[in-house]
Amino acid sequence: MKKKALSALLAGALAVSLLSACSSNEPQNISDVSASTADDTSTAATAEAAPAGAQEMTFVLNNIPDGLDPGVTNNSFAQYVLINCFEGLVTYDESGSLVGGCAESWDISDDGLVYTFHLRDGLKWSDGTPFTANDFVYSIQRVLTPSTAAQYVSMVTGYIKNAQEFYDGTATADDLGVKAIDDQTLEITLIQPTSYFIDVLSMWVYDPVQQATVEANGDAWTSSPETYVCNGPFKVTGMSLNENVILEKNENYWDAENVTLDKLTFRYILDNSTALTAYESGEVDGIISIPSSDYARLKAEKAGVQVYPSYGTVYYNINCSVAPYDNPLVRKALCLAIDRQSLIDNVVQVDAEPAYSFLAPGYSVDGKDITEGRSNYGLSATADVEAAQAALAEAGYPNGEGFPTLQLSYYQDDTVKKIVEAMAEMLKNNLNINVEVSSNDWAIFYEDVQQGNYEVAAMGWSADYLNPMSFLPLFKTGDSSNNSFYSNPEYDALVEQVMSESDTAKAAELTMQAADLASKDYCCLPLYYKSNSFLMHDNISGYYMTASSNLYFKHVVVS
Amino acid sequence: MVKFILKRLGMMLIAMFMIILFTFIIMHAVPGGPFTNTKGVPEEVIAAMEEKFGLDQPYYVQFFSYLKGILHGDFGPSYKYTGQTVNEFISSGAPVSARLGGVTVIFVLIAAIPMGIWAALKNGKWQDMLLMALATIGVTIPSFVIASLLIYAFSYKLNWLPTYGLDSWQSYILPVVALGGYSISYLARLMRSSLLEVMGQDYIRTARAKGLTEFAVVTRHALRNALIPVITVLGPTIAGLLTGSFVVEKIFAIPGLGYYFVNSVSQRDYTTIMGVTIFYAAFLMAMVLLVDVFYCMIDPRIKFES
Repeated sequence: MKKKALSALLAGALAVSLLSACSSNEPQNISDVSASTADDTSTAATAEAAPAGAQEMTFVLNNIPDGLDPGVTNNSFAQYVLINCFEGLVTYDESGSLVGGCAESWDISDDGLVYTFHLRDGLKWSDGTPFTANDFVYSIQRVLTPSTAAQYVSMVTGYIKNAQEFYDGTATADDLGVKAIDDQTLEITLIQPTSYFIDVLSMWVYDPVQQATVEANGDAWTSSPETYVCNGPFKVTGMSLNENVILEKNENYWDAENVTLDKLTFRYILDNSTALTAYESGEVDGIISIPSSDYARLKAEKAGVQVYPSYGTVYYNINCSVAPYDNPLVRKALCLAIDRQSLIDNVVQVDAEPAYSFLAPGYSVDGKDITEGRSNYGLSATADVEAAQAALAEAGYPNGEGFPTLQLSYYQDDTVKKIVEAMAEMLKNNLNINVEVSSNDWAIFYEDVQQGNYEVAAMGWSADYLNPMSFLPLFKTGDSSNNSFYSNPEYDALVEQVMSESDTAKAAELTMQAADLASKDYCCLPLYYKSNSFLMHDNISGYYMTASSNLYFKHVVVS
Repeated sequence: MVKFILKRLGMMLIAMFMIILFTFIIMHAVPGGPFTNTKGVPEEVIAAMEEKFGLDQPYYVQFFSYLKGILHGDFGPSYKYTGQTVNEFISSGAPVSARLGGVTVIFVLIAAIPMGIWAALKNGKWQDMLLMALATIGVTIPSFVIASLLIYAFSYKLNWLPTYGLDSWQSYILPVVALGGYSISYLARLMRSSLLEVMGQDYIRTARAKGLTEFAVVTRHALRNALIPVITVLGPTIAGLLTGSFVVEKIFAIPGLGYYFVNSVSQRDYTTIMGVTIFYAAFLMAMVLLVDVFYCMIDPRIKFES
């Protein structure tokens, strides 16, 4: 993922909302992903205004993705193009419900292992050639080919039968649990009856890519509009490396009659203040990133600030494998010493909720957010100095005496720098310990974090798919994303159980048990649950963003 | 002259080899690699990527296969941007930077040299004071400050000029002023002091004594010698302007080469670091050579052999 974890949170990966693995294709309404922010100026409903004038718009992005191949990249900056140019078996509608994409309907076998997808009639690629179930088979096999270097490969190997074996070369295509029964029927067989597989399936790593163009052009198929064949509401008609990507309506999309927007230009402007000036002077219609120093003013002026809930948490890693941070009491003291509300209001200046756990709210089962009513683990929005000092004393460092200098690491980023400086002050003053702050560029910082060469480090997570399972591996022993080196056999066992649980309600219960366990141990230093915000002028309507930050333009109308 | 140029070309080749070697060594010495990623990409995928790009080979093998590529004009694929080659980065970014740089160079020359001459001729008068005060400000204020102020005034407040891009002639105005500000000020000051020095020489007095007009004295006798220091710095200045300024390009969202020059380093995109460095170095060397050849043309005292 691009670079910075915090900005990554602004973007995000594939989202989902859905639950119960009952065998039906009915759109299942999850949660109105509980908005962590009040004024959701949601323009989600399909605009009914009659189109007037040119149906063209320009939207500014502030980061350049590392590639536009859905099978390869896991870069959240790629989502704007991928989400709007490709459509997988399932997708999201305006209400955040998971609905059929290429698949019109699907059935799930009684044992929860076999998914049968029925594709829509007359599907076509953007170049007009026919689209069949075999295109999905090819695409998934390609992801499972080591030379593809698919960054999200574990999202396939972890769930589909014989996918890991196929990747390792010990199973053939015949053994793989992905088969085209006929041109319009696709069958996927799982390793175990995972209740949230359909959520995972919404990720773009499962998007179809066209065999003909990939084989004719190799890696370069994504680098020119002529060879960038896709199947979604829009197709690419222009791309200029670090300047822009131009999308136009794809007449071959199955639902093209409901796509009004003719031309959508994604312009890269890396300097946020330039982007804001371009927005305020009316040169562009929307921008993805709002400079935090202007946030309050823009909101007050009603300048088009759009706030959407986001399924992500900003937290700091505490290295649980080194002393004294291997002691939960020390971690508790750190968590208690932070004034979250002050960070949110005075430092970051965004709409956000203080966080007491790594697991963000936003996933519901039977209309109830699974995190509802959970403990706050003794934490509060403001710092609790007494309790923090008591915890530190209990850990053997009364009044901070004898506590080694705390190393607080972060990566070079203006916002993160401000947070770190404020946190360092809070830790110093509230715990009476020494804090040393150090920063590095992202590549060096992240390598240190991965190798456990840190004490407390800036991090964060935004869900790849809208299911709490997207968070749980972060603290599972041995998982490549567990950079906190938290290890608890009980937690690991619960996570394993969630993965093989076919009942959604039970899976949710186990999830909360696991999250409680790790949160009680203060496995990390949670700061706040994020919301996503961007700017869009009033004359644009019909866009919507999912809780995993995917921004859909297919129903946009310019008035 | 041919011998001189050939000799210089030979030296440039050696210098280029050293640049490539040192860049390669420093680049690999810095911690972190191109595939460092936040989303917990499995080890096996990173290994597959390293194998794909030959990063699993020993350094010397990588180095020589890279050299071989360069000799064929192939800077290799980007490690960071799937499906893109460094040649594409350069061929798309360099012309944009060169377009902006070219306009800026012309603007700088048209503004700086007359400013310097005028200030020298009005030495000590208010015109001189004013111009040199402006030039001092121009040298000391960084381009990003000038750029931000210009955008605030002309795009945001007055809404006269576009904020970003390089799509119309109006859109050139702000970035050209921001990018050229420093060079104009610096060259104008240099031009002034150099001309003042020459004007005090005996041969100028001789020229005046012959009864030549002041205009003829300046243009025919003084300027040719006074331009030499200006031309010396003009070479690298032009190379710098043409190959782009990261700061100005970023602020005005101009899709030039500067982005790759800076971002490739933080992203550890090895081939891009190498490719852009080589391109920039080659360009700089060519400009310096051109300046040397140009010296001999304007000043007969300088010989190719020397």
